[in-house]
Amino acid sequence: MALLTDAAKAYIGIESTLEWACDPVERGAVRRYAQAIMDEDPIYQADNDTNQRYGGAVAPPLFPSHLFRRAFGTTDPIQDYAADPHFDGAQKVRGGLPEIEPLKHLAVMNGGSEIEFYRYACYQERVKLRSRYADIVEKESSKGPIILVYTETDYLTANDELLMRVRHTRIRRPL
Amino acid sequence: MIPSTQVHYFDDINIGDSIPSLTKGPLTSAHLMRWSAAFENWHKIHYDAPFAVEHDKLPALLVNGSLKQQFVVQLLKDWAGPEGWVWKASFQFRAMNLVNETLTAWATITGKTALQDYGLVTLELGIINTAGKESTPGRATITLPFRGGKAVPYPFVAPKL
Repeated sequence: MALLTDAAKAYIGIESTLEWACDPVERGAVRRYAQAIMDEDPIYQADNDTNQRYGGAVAPPLFPSHLFRRAFGTTDPIQDYAADPHFDGAQKVRGGLPEIEPLKHLAVMNGGSEIEFYRYACYQERVKLRSRYADIVEKESSKGPIILVYTETDYLTANDELLMRVRHTRIRRPL
Repeated sequence: MIPSTQVHYFDDINIGDSIPSLTKGPLTSAHLMRWSAAFENWHKIHYDAPFAVEHDKLPALLVNGSLKQQFVVQLLKDWAGPEGWVWKASFQFRAMNLVNETLTAWATITGKTALQDYGLVTLELGIINTAGKESTPGRATITLPFRGGKAVPYPFVAPKL
């Protein structure tokens, strides 16, 4: 029996509306992020000679893709699923796209990315995204059938300048 | 590690050369928790060992793919330097890396194309552990200035190829 059903394939082409990150690019968030990735590049730290080319202090290249966090007043999945021993904590809904309901029972793993960079996000800048399900396919792996879910996401400034474009692959596999 | 401020010029790049690698680790559970907290993603397979092993049947906590991609991008960014630009990077997560592994991001130049105002350099890349096992193969395109030329335009505009 195929893992990938027509009901799941129907999500191909679905686009999100524009979604804003709940916070602008904040210095404290950039510091924690840069320290966590162990890249304390001077271009992230303050306006200085190293970042004049970029117009001042900037966030790490991939920062815009990790800026979309849970806003005040939204559902708290950690609390909602606190009593569920099977809740894996994974952030399943990304880029304003709906959960693919027919795949909800499958584990999710990061399959990789193709990224195009155009400029860095600057301090205090607000970031928005627009995303779509580009493709959903089934493949045979050494451990059995898996489903690859491809999404394409544009990260933009408030002035619609393209910061980066990401084609992301998520692997869904039976538990 | 402070990134290099050295400018690399397209003219000086040779196909087959490797760029300086970047090593991170050993990546402890504290590294993985710090990264999960920094980007507020709470997937338990990266910090909850009983869940990872007993529920998801994994051998141990997994190093986040999203953390590994940071190492690749840092490697490329630092080499592109203050007058170049990392235009494209891609990577596949082909194998798991487990907590306490030490990882090295590497890249080798596979091609170069001169455009009117700057050059494109293509690279193969990956991440290996201390056993030499590749987990994250990928490719990249970096733009570099010509010797005596201007810096690559910023913000970057994709060339018409």
